[in-house]
Amino acid sequence: MADRSPHDPLAGIAFDRVPPAGAYGVTGEPGIVVSTAEEPFIALVAARNGFGASVAERLGRAFGGPGLDRPHAGFGSGSTVVGIGPGRFLVLSRAEADLPGTLRAVLGTEAAITGQSDAFVLFDLSGARVPDLLAKGAPVDLDPRVFPVGDAATTLVAHIGATLWRSGETGWRVLVARSFEASFTRFLLGAGAEYGLRLEGRG
Amino acid sequence: MRIPCPYCGARDAHEFAYLGDATLTRPDPAAADAADRFHDYVYLRDNPAGRHQEWWYHANGCRQWLRLTRDTRTHAIEAAEPARRDATQADMPGAAS
Repeated sequence: MADRSPHDPLAGIAFDRVPPAGAYGVTGEPGIVVSTAEEPFIALVAARNGFGASVAERLGRAFGGPGLDRPHAGFGSGSTVVGIGPGRFLVLSRAEADLPGTLRAVLGTEAAITGQSDAFVLFDLSGARVPDLLAKGAPVDLDPRVFPVGDAATTLVAHIGATLWRSGETGWRVLVARSFEASFTRFLLGAGAEYGLRLEGRG
Repeated sequence: MRIPCPYCGARDAHEFAYLGDATLTRPDPAAADAADRFHDYVYLRDNPAGRHQEWWYHANGCRQWLRLTRDTRTHAIEAAEPARRDATQADMPGAAS
């Protein structure tokens, strides 16, 4: 893939298309690597009145994490549970094709479950400069000292509604509504150009 | 202004939508003076300088309604509690027991 101008990394790219894979911004070792992540099965869990704590605990046991009703991301093997509101969770899975069915078996009548696999695109951002990039768009303090691994926030990034969490020391994930994929990728490329950014192709 | 959301933590006010006075009660539509009372309820607002209770909706966050106690002169926020309380929220900071 061709390297692009560091002065205008989006030159010549149609605004309504997801930009092609390649290296953007300053040349050399990229400060940020972006890919769309491999946890394609997503479901929303909404606890029924009074069952928030119980649902959180069951999700923690079945899919990983501390099982608390908090804005937090818990990690299991091939799954993630993210708190997005009181009694509201997004569950992501790499392999559970029938995620709503599995969740119904785990939660019974304690929660309403909605499949959301087609609703979101999951961006995987890695590199030491990711907090600097996200700081240009998110009105949340993402400094690693106050936003430890496992913290999550549902907020706006570049005026686009997003749920983001820190998945590792230099790894971050951002969940964005699918129709915003092109806009959000353009934000990443524009904001990340000064650090050097490599956009990987869709798997 | 930053609003201390009981679930999300301190967030910028532009993530929220403002509704207004949180102390109003919907009048009884069967009362004899219902028309006057509804006119007051729907249209007439006090404009206090000082302590004010108000509804805010965290539209770009946890999507919950909050009842905020704010000083309209200084924007100092005294309390922020979830508008809806149930067992799922009992252990959240700011929630009344």
